[in-house]
Amino acid sequence: MAHVSNVVAVGLPATVAAVHPLLVGESVACGWPSPSQDYFDGRINLNEHLIKDVTSTFVVRVSGDSMEGAGISDGDELIVNRALTPRDGSIVIAILDGELTVKRLQLKAGGVVLHAENPRYPDIKVPDAASLEIWATAETCLHDLRP
Amino acid sequence: MRIRTADPSSPALMPGSDYIAHVDVNSFYASAERAFNPSLEGIPVVVLSNNDGCVVTRTAEAKALGIPMGEPWFKLAPRAKSWGLVALSSNYELYGDISARVMELLGRYSAWVEVYSIDEAFLGVNGTPVQMRQLGRTIKDAVRRHVGVPVCVGIARTKGLAKLANKLAKHNQDFAGVCHWESIPEDVRDGLMSRLSVVELWGVATRLTKRLNAMGIRTILDLKNANPVMIRDRFSVVLMRTVLELQGTPCIPMEEERVGRDQLIFSRSFSTPVTTAAAMGQVMSVYAQQASARLAKHGLQAKVLTAFAGTSHYNQDNISYPSVCVPLPMPTADPVLLHKAANSLCERIYEGVKYVRAGIMVTDLRPTGNQSPLELFENPHEERGIGTLMESVSKKYGRGSIGLGSAGVRGGPDWSMKRDMLSPRYTTHWDELLLVKAS
Repeated sequence: MAHVSNVVAVGLPATVAAVHPLLVGESVACGWPSPSQDYFDGRINLNEHLIKDVTSTFVVRVSGDSMEGAGISDGDELIVNRALTPRDGSIVIAILDGELTVKRLQLKAGGVVLHAENPRYPDIKVPDAASLEIWATAETCLHDLRP
Repeated sequence: MRIRTADPSSPALMPGSDYIAHVDVNSFYASAERAFNPSLEGIPVVVLSNNDGCVVTRTAEAKALGIPMGEPWFKLAPRAKSWGLVALSSNYELYGDISARVMELLGRYSAWVEVYSIDEAFLGVNGTPVQMRQLGRTIKDAVRRHVGVPVCVGIARTKGLAKLANKLAKHNQDFAGVCHWESIPEDVRDGLMSRLSVVELWGVATRLTKRLNAMGIRTILDLKNANPVMIRDRFSVVLMRTVLELQGTPCIPMEEERVGRDQLIFSRSFSTPVTTAAAMGQVMSVYAQQASARLAKHGLQAKVLTAFAGTSHYNQDNISYPSVCVPLPMPTADPVLLHKAANSLCERIYEGVKYVRAGIMVTDLRPTGNQSPLELFENPHEERGIGTLMESVSKKYGRGSIGLGSAGVRGGPDWSMKRDMLSPRYTTHWDELLLVKAS
């Protein structure tokens, strides 16, 4: 039984950390059991809520202020999904001249526009929508609020 | 006569699967780099081995330049600029993550996935030929869309043929990356096999090719038409299985995971040669620690440890290739025992000789707890959980933050891996995330 203590102490991978305290609690069989134990299903796991598909989700970091109007600041992280099909209004990572660039995708009657959310940057009209390469579609922005 | 095709206890095919799909990523390392750096599309890219030594991956554009596999980088470097060739160090963290994503995705298309290597897997699949071709295209598109790397898919009745079909899918434009072997008319299949040398075949090495050629077996078709029993008698049962697989009889069973992996190797070359026994001891300590962590991760214990070192092929003076093979006192993953065993190499190190590579190999692996030793012989270090403790410390504070013996000493000789042309570890390190432009 000596090995059990090893496993509980450090052997669990990070992904099961949320249920870890319950295991410890249960092995100590003394006293009145905490009534809250029946209701403990593990802590909130952000991965579960922010990552819809682990195979296609990536985190990227924004460099520049051209998307300020969409609430995306310089240095923010975006959670992006490569498997999503972007729609009109989606924040996308487009491939422009071999570079990855954040823009808002606008699908208008007149054609496709890559729009910056900052008046200092001009819109880019995409003449041939078929040639536009979208690397990923952004789902969430991580923005540090600390002053 | 009847030939026993496979061990009767191991199913040649998974129950309920008609076909085997072989999926592998084209120029895997280079494709993983391109997935995060679109400016690498369409230009020649090579990825270099440990220590920026030799070419281990070439894109089609690099192959077209005539760059051979395994070419030492120092020979290419002077011409790289004029070719527009981009060379990158091996970004193992990135490739490992991309590989895991591909394998996870493949698991959605079959309940039977055998991960064969970092960039290839076998899947048990079933359906009609039309469905097989469609499935191949679906898998190819999904991997591209989700992970961003190109794959080819070969589907056939046997593993060997699935691998061959994949090769055809890769090299023959007409297949557009997906080849279902049995959909090809038989005379066309024979024609394709007659144009491929036996050396192209899975598991047929150059030396074997020479012996086969001497018997008049030159093409894959020749081998397919050979008598399997004669092949077994003259060569091996392994090659006989290859012949049977070519004929369409499945002989190489699907394995869910290769738990039976019988060895782990930790080896690399050094950026600066190691010239003293003390420095070699430090190297061995680090490898022992890595081996221990890997064994623990896979729930394995080793019975034998082999440690080796070598001087450069390019330097013909003071040639030295010491090695030791140490039977461990009991099956173990304990870093202390592995460390002790690995360090016995130091006695065979000549002071002043320039060793450019070293490594350890642990063999005779078995699952932990398969047979528990008597309490008396239980290793005290193992009981105290030193291995797991060290693992969790290095996970939290980074590699090199904790070490046993001389591996714990910081700032020793500079033998660690040189990766001068390393791309960011985009998916595993928060400080190295992919930058996207908003300007």
